[in-house]
Amino acid sequence: MKKNFKRFLRDKRAITPVLSHLLLTVVAVAIMALATSATFVITTNMRETMGERVIVEDVWFNTATGTIDVYMRNVGKADIQVSNVYVEHESQSFNGLSSLQVNKQGWLRIAYSWTSGESYYIDIVTKRGTHIASYYKAP
Amino acid sequence: MQAITKRLKQFKREKHGISTVIVVMLSLVLITIIVGNVVLWSYQMNQVDLDRMHETVTITGVSEYESGTRMDLENTGSLSLHVVAVWVSNSTTHQRYDADLFLNSGESITYNRADIEFPKDDFVAKIVTDRGNMAVFSVD
Repeated sequence: MKKNFKRFLRDKRAITPVLSHLLLTVVAVAIMALATSATFVITTNMRETMGERVIVEDVWFNTATGTIDVYMRNVGKADIQVSNVYVEHESQSFNGLSSLQVNKQGWLRIAYSWTSGESYYIDIVTKRGTHIASYYKAP
Repeated sequence: MQAITKRLKQFKREKHGISTVIVVMLSLVLITIIVGNVVLWSYQMNQVDLDRMHETVTITGVSEYESGTRMDLENTGSLSLHVVAVWVSNSTTHQRYDADLFLNSGESITYNRADIEFPKDDFVAKIVTDRGNMAVFSVD
């Protein structure tokens, strides 16, 4: 038994094919793991982009603060992040909510000096590129 | 028969192109997963949008009720709906009240709220459903 084991250890034949097969297996497994991860990332991103649904419950041309306050609610299946707000196609600064989880709501305050009786095109853009845009008339 | 057996043996011994076949099969599996996932999700979101389009609710009247308010609501759509918020807005304030009211398809209901007080001047009453639809009633 001991003799056989020693002979096995000394025997160098067929080492190269074993090593090459082993390496090939490792490389194949690594590539498949990468491909599977990429698939997961791609499908998750697509699902989140397709699952974005946001509604504007209320728009308040606030005379006390001089801002346009927009009350938003996330009715989709993915959390959203507000990246930009445009009033009359010009980027405006905003505060309040910047991210909104599923089924959550809150005020978004847009710093804009509005005039009574005028209509404004307000466009809210999320980080994934969804636009929530419409015309609103100041009272 | 001999020829067929010979060919079969030759085919069994032949190792060329096996890796290509395996790679193609694995790629097909991945592509099927991606496409299947996207199609299923797209179908689900389309269903959400369709349900939202089929939902219609109206406010037929608002009035004061004892110390609170009364709203007459009607679900004229083909789906049952869930009212999640009531808004009362005028020139000076926009107030949101949480609500939890279910209406079956075709059902009319009188919704009483003791905690809501309508303004004395002109105002707009609005209800919002969980699918994101709204009904508005203006009082002059």
